[in-house]
Amino acid sequence: MMSAKIKTIERQGVSYDQRLFLIEVFKGMRVTFGHFFRNLLDNSKLYVRHYPEVKPEITPRWRGRHRLTTHEDGTVKCVACFMCQTNCPSHCISITAGERNDGRSEKLPVRFDIDLLECIYCGYCVEACPMDAIRMDTGIFSVVTADRQSVVMGLDKLLATPGAFTEEDYKKRGL
Amino acid sequence: MSPLDYLLVALRVAFGAFVPLCFVAVLVWMERRGAAFFQDRAGPNRCNIFGFRAAGLIQNLSDAVKLVFKEDIVPGHIPHKFYFILAPVLVFVTALISFSVIPFADTLVLGENSYVMQAIPLDIGILWFLACAGFSVYGIILAGWSSHNKYGILGGLRAAAQVISYEIPMGLALVSLLVVYGTVNLNEIARFQGQLLFGMIPAWGVILQPLGVILFIVAAFAETNRTPFDLAEGESEIVAGYHVEYSSMKFALFFMGEYVAMFVSSAIIITLFFGGYQIPWLATETLVAYAKPVALVLLVLLPVANYFFTGWIRRNNTSHYYRPNDPRVREANIYIRCFWILTGIVEIILLGLLLADTAPETIRIFVALLQMATFLLKTVAMCFVYVWVRWTLPRFRYDQLQKLGWQTMLPLSLVNIFVTSAVVVALS
Ligand code: SF4
Ligand code: SF4
Repeated sequence: MMSAKIKTIERQGVSYDQRLFLIEVFKGMRVTFGHFFRNLLDNSKLYVRHYPEVKPEITPRWRGRHRLTTHEDGTVKCVACFMCQTNCPSHCISITAGERNDGRSEKLPVRFDIDLLECIYCGYCVEACPMDAIRMDTGIFSVVTADRQSVVMGLDKLLATPGAFTEEDYKKRGL
Repeated sequence: MSPLDYLLVALRVAFGAFVPLCFVAVLVWMERRGAAFFQDRAGPNRCNIFGFRAAGLIQNLSDAVKLVFKEDIVPGHIPHKFYFILAPVLVFVTALISFSVIPFADTLVLGENSYVMQAIPLDIGILWFLACAGFSVYGIILAGWSSHNKYGILGGLRAAAQVISYEIPMGLALVSLLVVYGTVNLNEIARFQGQLLFGMIPAWGVILQPLGVILFIVAAFAETNRTPFDLAEGESEIVAGYHVEYSSMKFALFFMGEYVAMFVSSAIIITLFFGGYQIPWLATETLVAYAKPVALVLLVLLPVANYFFTGWIRRNNTSHYYRPNDPRVREANIYIRCFWILTGIVEIILLGLLLADTAPETIRIFVALLQMATFLLKTVAMCFVYVWVRWTLPRFRYDQLQKLGWQTMLPLSLVNIFVTSAVVVALS
């Protein structure tokens, strides 16, 4: 049996000069002033991104807004198996299945609504899907509207949005 | 009283009333942008009028507009509405009137008349400040109590616990200082600090009372309710403490009161320990005698300083990302032009002072203006220390503050009094 590794952490703030506060206070103030002075002299050194103008880099692992994928011939991959709807922890997916006549499978969704106000962007729907039909790779991270109704993504909107990454990059995302 | 007397009374009262109010805007701006720079952020820099952002000062304007037009709610559960409304008034007014005894320039001598450059020419100086500053905490306790809210009560309770732990060390730190200066009149204290020690070091309080300055500054931080002693507010523990129930302008009064108090206590620290309005090595009479050389030095230094300042504006007032026809560059160009025009005006005035055959009154006024500028500069520098400390140190718990007050600062200030008195007696 391996004995547990013991690491003794030195207790801070007990020596007399530390208990005096003042020396430590001045040390801390020197650190913060260093930051202040550097940024004052040249504010291009700030760590922040100038957000609305400079967009953040989105990696393929990022869970953005959903989309539904299609086969090469443009038909929807989803087979309306309800896996995603069943798995969704916030119950925001609602699917209505219909009969499918193109020979690929028996069913296809005639309605596919995702209420993004309820979605928590957990990605479980993507993991649950047996057909790789639903993905969150659009790179869209900000969905803003003036009313609640237009936040509910319907079938047409989900199909219309293209993915933001190539197929190789998406496969390499390491999930 | 002659018209001149009336004019000077009006000017002095206006200075005493409006300067702290105007500096609220500057201090809030300094706090926000300073905080941002301490934390490597940018701070409020988007708000603008026609593209002019004035380095973020416009944000204050929009905040003021917001606060003025917000609904003013007096919650229905409050039984003592009068005290509820009185509390912010008390905090704000006491902070504002405590500025009125601080001298912002040496006594102005015009012909036979001399004018004490304080809003209220009182001799009791520091006692007035202590009385007013001590009173402002009643506003906080009253606000906490009358809010009828558990967080409010906790905030008021903490303020009460705080006041007993810092008032005594603060008073005792002052006692040793008064032993050195031998007066409570702030103008005389400032004039005392115009002297030189051993003919070369300015006799500032910070050199005569090195321990006193630390004790007083720590107590002053507690008195203005600033971090590390902002436990009455404690937004991470008790939401906002005593002003949790306040909205709109009543909240704004607390907010402004805090910044006015910070400005005033910086001014008092400057007056007591850092020479007040005195320019180091240039006491008032020296300054009057050498007004022309000083004006010449300013005449030369001002364009140089402005050159570097405008260069700094040009480097920093740009968009740090690709932007065709960057509007910020255009904005910077206008600022730079404004600053050069301003410099030009001051240069012309200085040149007039140098070339014209000046009356002694003009020289006196010039000296008073120089001293006012020095006073404001020093005070703002001290306010920066307040901001700096706020964004460096975490908050004290209130038992820790009491321990600090009673077990550390009280004995230290007593020792300081004994040592100071012994030295003063031995020397006299
Ligand atoms: S991301 Fe999560 S919450 Fe959103 S639809 Fe998919 S499963 Fe539901
Ligand atoms: S998206 Fe996938 S999991 Fe959901 S219904 Fe269609 S095929 Fe099934």
